[in-house]
Amino acid sequence: MTELLQTLVLSLLVGGIYALVASGLTLIFGVMRVINIAHGAYLILGAFITYTLWNQLGLDPLVGVLITTPVVFGLGWLIYRLMVRPIRHAPMSSTVLLTFGLALVTEGVMGLIWGNNSTAIRPSYVDESFHVGALFLPKAQVYGGVLAVVVLGALWLILTKTWLGRAIRAAAANPASAELVGIKVTSVAALVFGLGLAAAGAGGAITGVLYPFVPGSHYVWIARLLAIVVLGGLGSLEGAVVSALIFGFAETVTAVYISPAWATAVPYAIVFAVLLIRPQGLLGTRLRDDAVAA
Amino acid sequence: MSTATTAQASEAKRGFDPIWFGRALALVAGVLLVLYPILSDNLYYQNMIILSLVFAIAASGLSIITGLAGYVSLGQGAFIGLGGYTVGILATKHPDTNVWLWMPLAGVVAALVALILGFVALRARGPSFVIITVAFLFLVQVIAINWRPLTGGTEGLSLPIPTWDIDIQNWPFYYTLVGILGLQLLLTWWIRRTKLGTGLVAIREDETKAATIGINLPVEKIIAFVASSMLVGVAGGVYGYYLTFIDPRGMFNILLSVETMLALLVGGKATLWGPVLGAFIVEPLNEYANNNLGGGNTRLLLFGGLLIVIVLFLPQGVLPAIESLLNWVRTRGRAGLVGARIGTGGSLASLTDRLSLVDREVTTAPPPLLEIKDLHKAFGGLKAVDGASFVVPEGSITGLIGPNGSGKTTLFNLVDNTIHADAGEIWLAGERIDKLSSWSRAHRGLGRTFQITRLFREMTVLENVVAAQRSFSWGQLGRIAVSGPEAKAADELLEYVGMRAFRDQKARALSFGQQKLVELAQVLMLDPRLILLDEPAGGINPVLIDRMSEMIRELNSYGKTFLIVEHNMPFVLGLCDPVHVLGRGRTMASGTPAEIQKDPAVVDAYLGDDFVLEAADATPAAHERTATP
Repeated sequence: MTELLQTLVLSLLVGGIYALVASGLTLIFGVMRVINIAHGAYLILGAFITYTLWNQLGLDPLVGVLITTPVVFGLGWLIYRLMVRPIRHAPMSSTVLLTFGLALVTEGVMGLIWGNNSTAIRPSYVDESFHVGALFLPKAQVYGGVLAVVVLGALWLILTKTWLGRAIRAAAANPASAELVGIKVTSVAALVFGLGLAAAGAGGAITGVLYPFVPGSHYVWIARLLAIVVLGGLGSLEGAVVSALIFGFAETVTAVYISPAWATAVPYAIVFAVLLIRPQGLLGTRLRDDAVAA
Repeated sequence: MSTATTAQASEAKRGFDPIWFGRALALVAGVLLVLYPILSDNLYYQNMIILSLVFAIAASGLSIITGLAGYVSLGQGAFIGLGGYTVGILATKHPDTNVWLWMPLAGVVAALVALILGFVALRARGPSFVIITVAFLFLVQVIAINWRPLTGGTEGLSLPIPTWDIDIQNWPFYYTLVGILGLQLLLTWWIRRTKLGTGLVAIREDETKAATIGINLPVEKIIAFVASSMLVGVAGGVYGYYLTFIDPRGMFNILLSVETMLALLVGGKATLWGPVLGAFIVEPLNEYANNNLGGGNTRLLLFGGLLIVIVLFLPQGVLPAIESLLNWVRTRGRAGLVGARIGTGGSLASLTDRLSLVDREVTTAPPPLLEIKDLHKAFGGLKAVDGASFVVPEGSITGLIGPNGSGKTTLFNLVDNTIHADAGEIWLAGERIDKLSSWSRAHRGLGRTFQITRLFREMTVLENVVAAQRSFSWGQLGRIAVSGPEAKAADELLEYVGMRAFRDQKARALSFGQQKLVELAQVLMLDPRLILLDEPAGGINPVLIDRMSEMIRELNSYGKTFLIVEHNMPFVLGLCDPVHVLGRGRTMASGTPAEIQKDPAVVDAYLGDDFVLEAADATPAAHERTATP
């Protein structure tokens, strides 16, 4: 019973982090119909930047979020301006291939800068735990989970309470009409791309403390993230959050009760199951058939 | 005069055709490829060519599903791995059997897996499909890592060392791969020429529309998927044996898929030779990066950078870029054909063997050909079609009018299953069809044009017409589409609608009115019993409108039944009988044109008080002033 409760709480904490990162991915898709395959790569980049800040300057990784996030945001803004914008009217598969190329380049660059050996961020509290009743909750996981929820909350506030947020939702719903009422859709899109990537960067700072990583870890992450947003419904923010929690739970349970080796298969199994049974995901709406040019 | 002689004549006038230069180049390259191991014993280059051959096979296979059908797959490398593992597992379990015997089995396994994956991916389009293929690749890798008793897990499998004479080096691998590449190219070439091939391109251009002209989507997509992976599996088997060691990280590395995709993109994804050219560009680059630039990360930068550059700056690939450059040089300073006059149309005499005559004297009370019963469709809270019911009598030209937003086009969409009805029944010739797929409805005699024409933009006019599939049979899929009887029939129909002169133009180059005519020819290719026309007179010039109604009458006299949605009242009321009026998703009136014009409800809701047909000739927009209440 205790073990189950422990699993549940830990999976919720992990799920919160997944929700943060997946929100960025689904936000980008919702606004510009781009599936950012490089999302995992920017998460790992966030982790490496955090590692350097911690290793060189002794900055606590969770404080490092304050630096990592703006840096990755700027990078995302730049990438949109330079690469995504010129092909925004091309078929969706073009941007998939483009962002896949970006993922490979980022992986290569990280390998050149930080090397391909396993890296870990280990602040002083990494081996300590909170004891709540019979539960052992590692401090890093608790801090990380809480921080993720805070950042996610901030993102949520931006989207619902600010002019930018309304502009973003307008651009997502109908780009042409948004232009008509004075929203510069490409500028909004650049900000969204930055915001989406920033979510990945923040997630990287948090997960870098929890798990060791190499440049190639981004494959695991993108698989996981795609599974989450497909399950939640591409473009649905609420869906991403709900399915991130479900996903965190499924993965943790598989790792604890079946085997960690097979836990890596969970995302793929979910993708297949969702696309077979309910292609639009949990909360997604079915895209118009004639609007989806392959 | 037959098509062939016209083509040859214009060919001769043009003189030198670069296509022959290209063919000669391909021939020379082929001969060099076959002779190379005999001429040189350099193992470094032999190895490079062997690897290039593997990717050329994989990329040529990929060109079927990605180039023709437009489904981007990043899981193509998995079929190389599956082939390698099939051979690897069998060779280690049966050490005394000749390894080459297992190669065909590698193809069978790849084909079976493709078949299953094809079924799983049927409902996924666009980005979902890419995600599924990546998930598939990673899933197979996870299985290969975890199913240790069979695959040896991460330690991998060692295959038997080849036992043949050292003097012949890697010739057996080399020539087997050359042979497989030959077969794959033959398969790709053949598919491109068949009805299956035009169907796949139609799916790439507009899948929903493709279904309405009789293309059986699941069958064609699954065949394409199997055809694109079967021989790749065999090549993977040879590749695994050549490496003599396979492990999950190598064989199911996503970089194999990336390299295959790059080969396809660099060469030109919709061309026959592009993937081969691409493979022989990308793999040597890869070898160079590996050996001279430090490998690992450099390789990632190379692949990733190349992918970005191609997508941004050369999306068509090398071969199409050369082709369009040559085209530009050749046609520079000449007027395009697009502005030419539309032909006056051929007689229907050439069509009579395809169209059946109906004797008007016998059919006194025509049975209903199409029957709509209480049809419903809601988009969220909006009831677009809300209990519409009407009948289209056999042999009639029936009109369907109503204010904008009254549900006319939605009704068409429901009849041909472009969207699914919520409730209600649709009967065609005594058979209930509302549970059938679009293509099955097309095969039962339903043809439909769109308000905003939906031709396949990147296909030529002729290809657009031959893409239609009258019925489904496996044999028909294999029929050659681009020449022979199919092309001849399409030619006749184009002649009839007056668009024969445009047959080799890309559909996207045509004007709106011209597209309407081609779409009509496309639908006629289905030899339909009932033709639904969505605003045939909308947005085209008056001469063309007259021609259109002339053709409708003529086709009707040969037994074609029409259901026409149109806002041009003189056109509708002069042509159609009976006329149904749709208002707020319901049939609010039905009758002869005369009755409709007098119906107070119709006048109130749609025509307006001042509507007089005679006067409307002078002011065609009369009805629009008072159109919506």
